Amino acid sequence: MSVARRAFIQMSVGATVGILFTPTVWTLLDDVSIWTQNWPWIPTLKYGEVKGVPTVSKMCESGCAVKVRTVAGEAFGTEGNMDNPLSGGGICPLCANGVQVKNSPNRIAAPMLNGEEITWEKAEEVLVDKLAAAGSNVAVISGDQTGTVNELLSAVLTGKQSDKFYTMPCDMQVSDRAWTGLMGGSGQIGYDMENADVVLLAGADAFESWGPTVANMKAFANNEGGKFIFAGPMQTKTASVTSKWVPVPAEGMAAFTLGICYYVLQAGKSVPASDFDQFKAMVMAGYTPAKVEAATGVKADQMAEVAKQLLSASNPVVVPAGSVAANAAGIALNLLLGGGMKVLPEFAAAVDGAMTRSEMLKGDILQGVDAEMVIIYEANPTYALPEQVKAGFTVAIDSVNTETTAAADLVLPSLHSYERYDDLASPYGVASAIYTMGAPVSKPASGAKDARDLFLAPAGLDSESFAEVIEAKVEAIGADMDELVEGAAYVLEETPDMSGVTLAASALGKAAVPVKGTGAVGLAPYTVLSVGTANQATTPNAPATISNNQLVGDNMVVMMASVTAKKLGVSVGSKVKLSGGNGECEALVQVFEGVLPGVVAAPLGMGHTVGDEFSKGKGDNVYKILTVSSEAAAGASTWAGSTVNVAKI
Amino acid sequence: MQMKEFKVKWGMVIDVDKCTGCGACMVGCQVENNIAPMTKKDPYNYVQALTWDRDDASNKLKTLTWLYVYELSNGKSFPEHETAYLPRPCMQCGNPACVPVCPVVATEKNEEGGIVSQVTPRCIGCRYCMAACPYHARYFNWWDPIWPEGMDKGLSPSTAVRPRGVVEKCSFCHSRYLDAKDQARQDGNDPMDLPDGAYNTACADICPTKAITFGDLNNPEHKVHELAKGKNAYRLIEKLGLDPQVYYTSEREWVRKLGDNYNADGGAHGAPSNSHG
Amino acid sequence: MDSKLFPEGTQRCSFGQFMLWMGFLGAVFLWGVYGATLVLYNGIGTTGLDNYFGFGAWITFDLAVIALGAGAFFTGLLKYILKIKQLEKIINLTVIIGFCCYAGAMLILVLDVGQPTRAWFGYWHPNVHSMLTEVIFCITCYLIVLIIEFVPLILEQKQLNKIPFIHAFAHNLHVNMALFAGIGAFLSTFHQGSLGGMYGVLIGRPFAFREGFFIWPWTFFLFILSAVGTGPVFTVLVATLMEKITGKKLVDFKTKALMAKIAGSMLSVYMFFKIIDTWAWATGYLPSVGLTFDDMFYGFIYGKWLMFSEIVICGIVPAIMLVVPSIRNRPGLLYTAGILACIGVSLNRYIFTVQTIAFPVMPFDTWQLYYPNWVEYATSIMIIAFGFIVISLSYRYLPVFPLETKLNYQSGD
Repeated sequence: MSVARRAFIQMSVGATVGILFTPTVWTLLDDVSIWTQNWPWIPTLKYGEVKGVPTVSKMCESGCAVKVRTVAGEAFGTEGNMDNPLSGGGICPLCANGVQVKNSPNRIAAPMLNGEEITWEKAEEVLVDKLAAAGSNVAVISGDQTGTVNELLSAVLTGKQSDKFYTMPCDMQVSDRAWTGLMGGSGQIGYDMENADVVLLAGADAFESWGPTVANMKAFANNEGGKFIFAGPMQTKTASVTSKWVPVPAEGMAAFTLGICYYVLQAGKSVPASDFDQFKAMVMAGYTPAKVEAATGVKADQMAEVAKQLLSASNPVVVPAGSVAANAAGIALNLLLGGGMKVLPEFAAAVDGAMTRSEMLKGDILQGVDAEMVIIYEANPTYALPEQVKAGFTVAIDSVNTETTAAADLVLPSLHSYERYDDLASPYGVASAIYTMGAPVSKPASGAKDARDLFLAPAGLDSESFAEVIEAKVEAIGADMDELVEGAAYVLEETPDMSGVTLAASALGKAAVPVKGTGAVGLAPYTVLSVGTANQATTPNAPATISNNQLVGDNMVVMMASVTAKKLGVSVGSKVKLSGGNGECEALVQVFEGVLPGVVAAPLGMGHTVGDEFSKGKGDNVYKILTVSSEAAAGASTWAGSTVNVAKI
Repeated sequence: MQMKEFKVKWGMVIDVDKCTGCGACMVGCQVENNIAPMTKKDPYNYVQALTWDRDDASNKLKTLTWLYVYELSNGKSFPEHETAYLPRPCMQCGNPACVPVCPVVATEKNEEGGIVSQVTPRCIGCRYCMAACPYHARYFNWWDPIWPEGMDKGLSPSTAVRPRGVVEKCSFCHSRYLDAKDQARQDGNDPMDLPDGAYNTACADICPTKAITFGDLNNPEHKVHELAKGKNAYRLIEKLGLDPQVYYTSEREWVRKLGDNYNADGGAHGAPSNSHG
Repeated sequence: MDSKLFPEGTQRCSFGQFMLWMGFLGAVFLWGVYGATLVLYNGIGTTGLDNYFGFGAWITFDLAVIALGAGAFFTGLLKYILKIKQLEKIINLTVIIGFCCYAGAMLILVLDVGQPTRAWFGYWHPNVHSMLTEVIFCITCYLIVLIIEFVPLILEQKQLNKIPFIHAFAHNLHVNMALFAGIGAFLSTFHQGSLGGMYGVLIGRPFAFREGFFIWPWTFFLFILSAVGTGPVFTVLVATLMEKITGKKLVDFKTKALMAKIAGSMLSVYMFFKIIDTWAWATGYLPSVGLTFDDMFYGFIYGKWLMFSEIVICGIVPAIMLVVPSIRNRPGLLYTAGILACIGVSLNRYIFTVQTIAFPVMPFDTWQLYYPNWVEYATSIMIIAFGFIVISLSYRYLPVFPLETKLNYQSGD
């Protein structure tokens, strides 16, 4: 057999062309092309009308005024609420992930008694029995700082002649202790950063974790030309946008503030307070710049410079944070300067027998809680205060599994913010008394009920549901329900009585003296919202925003200046053990020159042992190594001045 | 390649002096664009369970973040040290490095508005565009996207879920652009002349300090038009001639200087007209 | 057992011994298959590649084997088009090596693209501006050409060739081989160039970006030159390795020396332009974008020693060794120069792949390290095992070396 060369080529070409002219190849290719895009395991989307429904989100400490974005009625995202002064369109990274947390498999599906699922009826029965059995020895720990739910829970206590209402340690509490405790004031302190021309953030990490973060950031954005100065032991995210960072150790913040008072007093400023002369004498003698420099390491000329700027401003404001003494010193400085510090009235109560906010803040949880029965509402003390809470029977109310729900005897699942009526009354730090309310956006997850309803009867209310309590609240404060549901905020313009306010001269003189622990280096615990707070662990999408300066793999990262690292004999990537308080933490070292020498900065909010994969086993729990010390002169307990020993492992 | 000129040119001006690095924009972006949270375990993949875990979000070299916030340092020691945060979306370059290299036309810059598209159903996942982009704005789906059980019911209608093995990037929330144009048509307005704010990206919307301003760089009625011409406005590595549509602004000189390389005398090399590709 | 299948007049090792050898290669190959399965089933996240290194060991491996496989097209060009008769003594081997290299590169690419089922979109939605489209076109087409060039050799197998149709078919292919060699040379030249062009066009990557001629950056031409400068010596090295393993003489040294001379001349031309290119890049382009030559290197992993090794030790040195007859004609030195040249071209491909994308262009960005993990190694080694298997089978059963009988069984008789 032989094939001619020409025939061979003809045959090859012919066959190729022939196949290409049939539709087979092209149809097949087209099919495959489509096929490569349709995999059954890729979720498909739901389409329909997209809406933004206003409500409140309670994942961050202050709460955010949000709009929940829905598609065909199903919530999918969270955005800010332009019409609400708490938001102005922005929200925090935690609340931005609200819907994902709502839909998380970490939600608690049903009430649990000692780890066993029970019915709601049974749960209510146990709750009533235990409440009856506990008598007056009942305590409440609330993780909510702003909601009317606290009125309900405190009314339960009042009915049982108990005053054991506790909040988790928070800036609001410290401020209240300074203002109503030491200085004889009433109402709540607020700071108008938006209209100030010079803002001294004396320890307040205002754009990340202090106060109404989002409202603060909005104020910063709107404040064209205002000068912001940050003082604190580390360059927080707030310090990255302020025009100046003054490195001040946490325990020295009160003394630093009084050091500024020195210059302000020298400039002739005064306040009509009964103890003004005593205050002046105390500062001029005990807190001279030289003495403050010796005690805190802050250079006198730096204080002079800050004081000069505050004095030359027409509307300055000092925003203190940290210890009670630091708050009192900050408030005193504000009173001297007469700038943008505000005193906010409290909204009228809706529940008879409810405590006032200031009364709720009096309990010192750091001193420990010991009660026959402890009711924990959306707080995580087992994680953040592992040694402080002792109870015969614990009831934990939360929407997701936490260390606290895992350890509780009775667990009552609560609805997510987007599934319930909830409200936000004057988050700490806002410049005016402001009330925001949210109605449910989504249907409750299957099996979920409003756990708050179980406390209506024990509080002596005959309401059917908590929604009625909110309605009563709205009525009591004189706001319009419809406007609130639309997302608008209600603002109360009123100034509480300021007569009788003192500068707390006698207490402050002693309380402002820096007291440091015995560890080798100072500890600057800091909060990054995307890492989480004491009550809220990080959310599903937030870990992508957590920097390697906080977490590498499953290891927490602590930061220090290169001089500190050298002193401790560690370098970038060294694994270290931090010991302080009654605990230990493991971490990797990162060198960050924005930390005061002699101080280690560690992120709060990691090291969860219960929860979803995004928080569980990630990093270590810095709350374990915080030292509780007594601010004797101020009559309070504090974590400020914590120190740690660092050992390389 | 010839640069295409557009009548409408969407762009951003990001005020570095306002960004606190809180991360809300990154979370908002992930939610808007259906970027799955990173999970170590894949409960649906038995083979995965036999070998090692997938990467979680702490491994920044494997995360998928259309918008990423960089932390800048002035490099000085205490107490002169300063930090700044710089959010980096896709620059939507006028002369993109990524578009001409794509072998399958899965990324194009030809739609009015100047947004560099990414056609993920066509992308073969060769990652050549990632190698081309000096901003690291392009991301590869290293693993199958997995939403923890129940979370997939709350997906955004804006962006289809991508399978693993394709490259994706910031699209300036392109579906919002389509929505804004539809709205304009319904209202009888010119979709090619949207008013300032009618179309805004998720990150710019959510930013609590309003550090991100978004708009049409060519439209004098949009804020970005002036902001981009501000005396402190700059773009990242401008000397390479990529002509990004994202501008930054900072009053801090060290921040601006970190926007480009100044180690040798820089000229205007690589101007679009004589570059190749 | 299988001796009837051996090429005419040759002797081979026992079947058992051969099976042992194939078993070893097969085991290595299966290890790679396991790695490949993980990649295809779990995703590319399984590898050491990441957001900074979208290209890594696999692309380096691909570029290196394609450069080393360049012996096929270049020798084919010289033999069939320029009619250098001497080269027919090694031409079969160049085709087999070319086939192994290209088929291997294709296999690796299947793993390397995230959506292998869409790999053919390069034809479906081609972007004519992309160098990679050119690469996809040329590599696939050239692989087909290589298969066409390989087929006659298979058909010449002693038993197969007894079938009249196959004999006729093989003959026809042979007659038309010059046509295929021509097509192959064209395709291969272009994609060797496009592979270089791939990096040269990266305007966002100052380490690789180059000016050029018309639409082709200088790297386009440099990659062609470096490939033709090393492909032929790689063939010589493989032939020599086969001689060491089999203990037979397969190619006469005269042919080897000719291949080395060809490679040496091309390598010299390449080095001349490479040095000019590097100098112009360092002193002209880099400063124009605010960068210096020193900026391009970092620490040990990305140190200047890499470029020095590539250009001087593995570039200029072997070029001189291969060009100077007195050195080239001493087998030991020829092989040494060949090894150096092959390392040099591989280093070049590595530097262009990894260092290009490692250099942080944004000043606040950082150098990141890239470590390929075992999956990338295993799959690459799988390709090498594949090459060994193909060559072993070919050697055992196909008439690869025309001079084998003469050199081993007739000389001296």
